[in-house]
Amino acid sequence: MSAEPEILVIDDEPQILRALKTILTAQKFRVITAGRGQDGLALAAAHLPDLVILDLGLPDIDGFEVCARLREWTRVPIIVLSVRESEHDKVRALDQGADDYLVKPFGIEELLARIRVALRHSSQAHGDQDSPIKTGDLVIDLARHVVTRDGSEVKLTATEFKLLAYLVQNAGRVLTHQGILTKIWGFEYMDNVEYLRVFMSQLRKKLENDPKHPQYLISEPGIGYRFYLRE
Amino acid sequence: MLKRSRSVFPTVRRSFFAALVTLAVTMALTFFGEYLNVSTVALIYLLPVIFSSTLWGLGPGLVSGFLAFLAYNYFFLPPYHTFSVHHSQDVVALAVFFVVAVLISQLVGRAKKNLSTAMQREHELARLYEFSVKLEGVDDREGIAKTIASQTLGAFNAKQVEVQVKALAREKAFEVRLPLSGSTQEVKPIAIFPLQTAGRLMGEIRFWRDTGPLNSSEERVFQTFANQGALAIERAALSQERTRAKVLEESDRMKSALLSSVSHELRTPLATIKASVSSLLGGEVEWDTEARKDLMITVDEEIDELNRLVGNLLDMSRIEAGALSPNRQWNDLREIVDSAIYRTRHAIEDYQVEVDIPDDLPLVPVDFMQIERVFINLISNSVKYARSGSRIRFHASVRDSQTLFVQVMNQGPQVPPDHLESIFEKFHRITNAERVTGTGLGLSICKGIIEVHGGRIWGENLPDGFAFDFTLPLSQEGRFPVSIEIESI
Repeated sequence: MSAEPEILVIDDEPQILRALKTILTAQKFRVITAGRGQDGLALAAAHLPDLVILDLGLPDIDGFEVCARLREWTRVPIIVLSVRESEHDKVRALDQGADDYLVKPFGIEELLARIRVALRHSSQAHGDQDSPIKTGDLVIDLARHVVTRDGSEVKLTATEFKLLAYLVQNAGRVLTHQGILTKIWGFEYMDNVEYLRVFMSQLRKKLENDPKHPQYLISEPGIGYRFYLRE
Repeated sequence: MLKRSRSVFPTVRRSFFAALVTLAVTMALTFFGEYLNVSTVALIYLLPVIFSSTLWGLGPGLVSGFLAFLAYNYFFLPPYHTFSVHHSQDVVALAVFFVVAVLISQLVGRAKKNLSTAMQREHELARLYEFSVKLEGVDDREGIAKTIASQTLGAFNAKQVEVQVKALAREKAFEVRLPLSGSTQEVKPIAIFPLQTAGRLMGEIRFWRDTGPLNSSEERVFQTFANQGALAIERAALSQERTRAKVLEESDRMKSALLSSVSHELRTPLATIKASVSSLLGGEVEWDTEARKDLMITVDEEIDELNRLVGNLLDMSRIEAGALSPNRQWNDLREIVDSAIYRTRHAIEDYQVEVDIPDDLPLVPVDFMQIERVFINLISNSVKYARSGSRIRFHASVRDSQTLFVQVMNQGPQVPPDHLESIFEKFHRITNAERVTGTGLGLSICKGIIEVHGGRIWGENLPDGFAFDFTLPLSQEGRFPVSIEIESI
């Protein structure tokens, strides 16, 4: 992994492609671009990029479909770009396997931050699953069911641990409310977002330094939650 | 009532009664006849004639008159117990008696008939009057059709009435059926009246009843009902059309106001961006790092402003189209407020922001994005009017177990009381448009969003500033968040 990470950008607007290519190249990424969904899929198969940035509105096949087809064979992180601000589209893209989303127009800092998180997450996922995860003052040992904060153990209930484990295993990814509820509580609780709110606030009280301004357990308004790994 | 008694007592039966009465009078006279002279007897015989014709009409009156004539001749004119008459004087008396009896019968009978016709007419008029009064009160086609149906149902003792109204211009066709429990009738209606105006056929009334067909009077009233109803429907259709034209015109006017406002608002940030970027590109001036950064920050802020403007336009069009359906979920209001503050951090960095929201506030069933937009618009409005350095405060509390009360307070100028309502209307701005930027859409969008959530929004002058207040229901379809037990470790 000595080479610079390669990023595939699929977007039908030449201006965006040009701008992203310039900016990302300056940030020491290798960049390949595609203006159509089919071309994007072909490039992904040929180059095996480290990350895909995907626009939802494409001229041939739509972004949701590209997402789903990529997920058939690769776990490469996908960041979805969209001009649509509706939660529905974001949730759908995330359900199709996207890791993260950004609404156009976005600041480049924001995009770079998301790229770094996604790359870190994917290298983490490739690494040793059993070793404890360290982030800021937290150490989370999923194998041994132990969480410590500043060296002292944090007592979690069974559900709290299950929830935390699911988020941590998908660190960096945005997990939808429905996705989490189905995973932790079961299909019939899919719409009971209030469960999530209560348990998330419990977790924050136990894990965050300032539960009102969380560092790890981040809300994605109207969409879901994600766990942030801190340096 | 009159009609019914006529049908129960046919003429034959009534004539029989008339004969009985005459017979009774004859019997009474044979008892007391010897004390009375012949002319008195003749006078007394007029009584059953008057009585019968008053009570039962012309025919029975005549029957009674004829019988009285015979009996008077038979019992009281010599030679007794024969129908022959000896004295020529008696012949005259008998003839006069007969003529008087017939005349009385006729006169009384005619008066009675006139009276009954008059009463019937009065009854018809009363019905028509009631009908037209009822029609007066409604001005939409459905309402009128319902009125026609309910009035005919009541006035004609119907089993079922259907009023079918044809499509007209852009108004759809429809049908009203009364009683509501009625079903599609298999038998043919006993009457169908067209709802016809001078120009066109507006529909028809179908009518069923068990008590037999309509008589001529009822038919007349029914016809008038139908004519009046048709006119009312036509009038309503025309007025609905006019209203629609007016609404279109109004919305056209709004659109051009919006367009001119929007192009102005788009150009302002674009001008700034163009100026900043072109001066950076120009290369005529060597910009130092500080100045470059300043210019770039300006560009960044103006782009955010443009984006917010486009968002507001989209929201507005959704609200207008009634397509703003909130995706309600149980949300923590504090989180929404924090997110709105984060998104507007550049705009409010020169203000003192206070958040006063209790930790134990219940979850609210709202669309996160939409309520966040409300806060962003309220913040943006506060920043426009309140001087920098002043305080912007967010407050929320439970008002009455059903309602959440939220307040966004600033230290800006007060709003004249007569503008407190209208600030939430589109394009409304109290101050001179040149001084403050914005399309005047922000607050009307807030109103649209809050109302689609089932809440209410209003403005309030405070001793040291101004506050936007709004309410949100704490339950969703009568449901409150499930209370969740925290398991033990």
